[in-house]
Amino acid sequence: HASQVGTPKRNIQLSNIIEECSNGRRVSRLLELSPKKLEPLPIEEPKTPKRNSRLSSVGATLPSSASKGTPKSANKMKLIRDGTIKPNIHSRDAPVQDGANELAVARERLHVSATPSSLPCREKEYEEIYNFLEGKIFDGCGGCMYISGVPGTGKTATTTAVLRALKHLSEEEDIPKFEFVDINGMRLTEPRQAYVHIYRQLTGKTLAWEQAYNLLNKRFTTKAPRRITTVLLVDELDILCNKRQDVVYNLLNWPTMPTAQLIVVTIANTMDLPERLLMGKISSRLGLTRLTFQPYNFRQLQEIVMARLVGMSAFNSDAVQLVARKVAAVSGDARRALDICRRATELADDQAKKSNESVTVSMMHVQQALTEMITSAKVKTIRSCSRLEQLFLQAVTAEVTRTGIEECNFLGVYSQFESLAAFSGIIVPNPGRAMAICARLAASRLLICECGKSDIYQKILLNISTDDVHFALQASKLL
Amino acid sequence: MPDGCSDLDSTRMFLKARLLTDRASFHGYEAERQQIHDLLERTAEHGESNSALLLGPRGIGKTTLVTTVLVQLLSKETFHRNSLVVYLNGLIHIDDRIALKSATAQMNLENAVDGKVFGSFAENLAFLLECLKAGDRKKSKSVIFLLEEFDLFCSHHNQTLLYNLFDVAQSAQAPICVLGLTARLDVIELLEKRVKSRFSHRQIFLLPREDGFEERLELFGSLLKLPTEQEVRTFAATHPTISQDVLNNDELALLRNLFNPRQYSLPSKWVTQWNRTIDKLLKSAEVQTVLQNMYEYDVLEGPFRMQLFELVNGLDDEHPAITIESIQQLGERYESDDKVKLLAGSSVLEICLVIAIKHHSEIYDRDPFNFEMILTRFSKWANSSSSMQGIERPVVLKAFEHLKQLEFVAPLTGGGLAKVQKEYQLHRLLLTYGQIRQAVQRMQFLPTEISQWEQSSLV
Repeated sequence: HASQVGTPKRNIQLSNIIEECSNGRRVSRLLELSPKKLEPLPIEEPKTPKRNSRLSSVGATLPSSASKGTPKSANKMKLIRDGTIKPNIHSRDAPVQDGANELAVARERLHVSATPSSLPCREKEYEEIYNFLEGKIFDGCGGCMYISGVPGTGKTATTTAVLRALKHLSEEEDIPKFEFVDINGMRLTEPRQAYVHIYRQLTGKTLAWEQAYNLLNKRFTTKAPRRITTVLLVDELDILCNKRQDVVYNLLNWPTMPTAQLIVVTIANTMDLPERLLMGKISSRLGLTRLTFQPYNFRQLQEIVMARLVGMSAFNSDAVQLVARKVAAVSGDARRALDICRRATELADDQAKKSNESVTVSMMHVQQALTEMITSAKVKTIRSCSRLEQLFLQAVTAEVTRTGIEECNFLGVYSQFESLAAFSGIIVPNPGRAMAICARLAASRLLICECGKSDIYQKILLNISTDDVHFALQASKLL
Repeated sequence: MPDGCSDLDSTRMFLKARLLTDRASFHGYEAERQQIHDLLERTAEHGESNSALLLGPRGIGKTTLVTTVLVQLLSKETFHRNSLVVYLNGLIHIDDRIALKSATAQMNLENAVDGKVFGSFAENLAFLLECLKAGDRKKSKSVIFLLEEFDLFCSHHNQTLLYNLFDVAQSAQAPICVLGLTARLDVIELLEKRVKSRFSHRQIFLLPREDGFEERLELFGSLLKLPTEQEVRTFAATHPTISQDVLNNDELALLRNLFNPRQYSLPSKWVTQWNRTIDKLLKSAEVQTVLQNMYEYDVLEGPFRMQLFELVNGLDDEHPAITIESIQQLGERYESDDKVKLLAGSSVLEICLVIAIKHHSEIYDRDPFNFEMILTRFSKWANSSSSMQGIERPVVLKAFEHLKQLEFVAPLTGGGLAKVQKEYQLHRLLLTYGQIRQAVQRMQFLPTEISQWEQSSLV
């Protein structure tokens, strides 16, 4: 008799569970109804398809409205992989207002991210890439190009500018339509993720790399009558090279297929990368269409900075020249020149705030910015060390001069340390404390030490020149 | 006298809390502080992307400086509504996978639910970058990345995380600020060239000032003195409280449990009395000598605070005030040699072995030795001595092993030596001769013949 009572109850609960699985939101209502008869269910039914249809049409709203738990997160992940949830970042209260004074505007324009529409001093390279890509797109055939140059010489900016121009032309139907995909080796966790990224940009879906590879392979190797050209930009090519080099091989092999209509533009830093790192069959596929971006010389850097400041009087032109000459002498990196200029505007801004009058960026500000960003603080650090730390550094230099070898061990340095301390009338710290001093100096990398396990036999190497030590300690009382 | 005791207790609690948890009041370094303040403010309010490194020796107060700036900024409505703070630590987030998960959770992106992040490493990276790309300078929130132990992030595979963060900071995407904190001065040389090019080379150095000893005395006073009513009030005025909803980031533990002097009630009479004793201490020559010795050894504030903590810890009913003696004791503890203490506590047989090792090292100029050599040297002396005869070989071996465990001697490292029998394994002495002499002098009840043997190796 008892079991007869129990069974219907369990039935209701089962149905509840089923309902819960199919649709998370109706559970509470059903539970509330369950003690009564199943009468209201037919009334409910006409609603269900409606809500279901709404849910499926506006998939993105589901996760936020659903309750916590696994179904939600699983759903969410599925939606992200499908590309239904658009990646987004929280928005701020009110949009940013533009800078009021001239220095703020100059700083905004000098930011590296504010790429101008036409890049100064790269006209020749622009032309070359443009001609290559335009020709290939017109002919509807595939090809490869390799672009190299040290960081900050405008490789990616020029290439994307070319592609922007081509995209614009194709929208106005001056040239055939094409698809553009770009991947960056450094944005991938491993080389094979390249397939996933390419496939996602073509279709919007995220797959495992095996599937993505198979689908891409099928796409590029089978013939399709109305295929349009695909332009693939591969940044940081050297990261994509693993031991097997299968990814690079595939990326460069597809353009050789007549069916693919794929143009690959590869960018890396070293000029001889194809010969040095890639296998013979790959560098042969990469071809000889190569382009090298030279580092900017000081005139070009000056032009780049001035081009961003057109129509403004915030900068003294001599100041710009100083930045350009200094940066060109070291690296020829445009990013560096822009960053230094930006720092100089900040310094000028500070001064303007203090004195309450408008200030233009002068030689003095640039000089200050240059010393901040280029010089190292080793000498200053030595000067600010404690007295015994300075003495220890001196002991190391003394030991180096005594033995004539760069590398010395702690025991030798300690005996020098003892005699130096006795000479200047200081109580000598015991070996343990001297070792702590040594470890402190090693933590800020004035010294390079072995690990502490070898104790008093650890090897010590001076990470600065002995002249630096002498120069830094000249003012101190020790010398 | 329960009343006096409770005053003392609360004084001790107050001082300890101030020494340990007062992360929000950082003094000095106005220019550096202003620079970081401006940097973060510009990021949050004008949507400027930046990157910077804060460098300085350990214990100088890099984290404290950043916390101070954040406390100041987060109490402003315009700052915390417009920005997110993401805290990553190189010691906790040991690879990019963990760091990314943590960053995703802290930014509360779509693929994070209640701090749990879904998807693989590759998906997380792609999603985070897409999110940042989708943002723009004007409309999306600024993200401030604090990377503590920045040098450890440089050892991650390919420096993927650093490249991407710096790359976002240098392109027209969501405004972010990457602020790295590290003790290594040459950290820029650890960056790959493309990462280095993207870093803006803004380096802010925090270096101890060369002001000298007077400042240390002032610091001693200000850390141990109790604040008057008025000072508590000014403290409250200059240290704004942060509303609770700002602190919902679990990883940002720096800003929780900040020091608040209003929790402690101290009668003003007690305060003046206490401050007077501290003033008196500052004037005494003995205290100044101890502090001078500490100062010559280490100029940084962090380690000095720990020393004062020890001093405050010694306060109890029997010692209700800090005295000259307690400071002198502290100084003695500070300068004592732990190895000598350890050696002085070992047995007579062990000290005999150490002396034998010392003689061997002196004769052969610190050449490595093995147990047999030492045993021979020891037996030669023991047979002629009156008190150490008849000690068996296994006992001596045991004593030798004990020395090895205490790391007074250490085996020579090298691949082939591991298979050698333990009696023939080569060792090195990890003590200086001065330390051995001190230990022998310090040992009580050491037979005279042993201390005589220590003086000369001739038997």
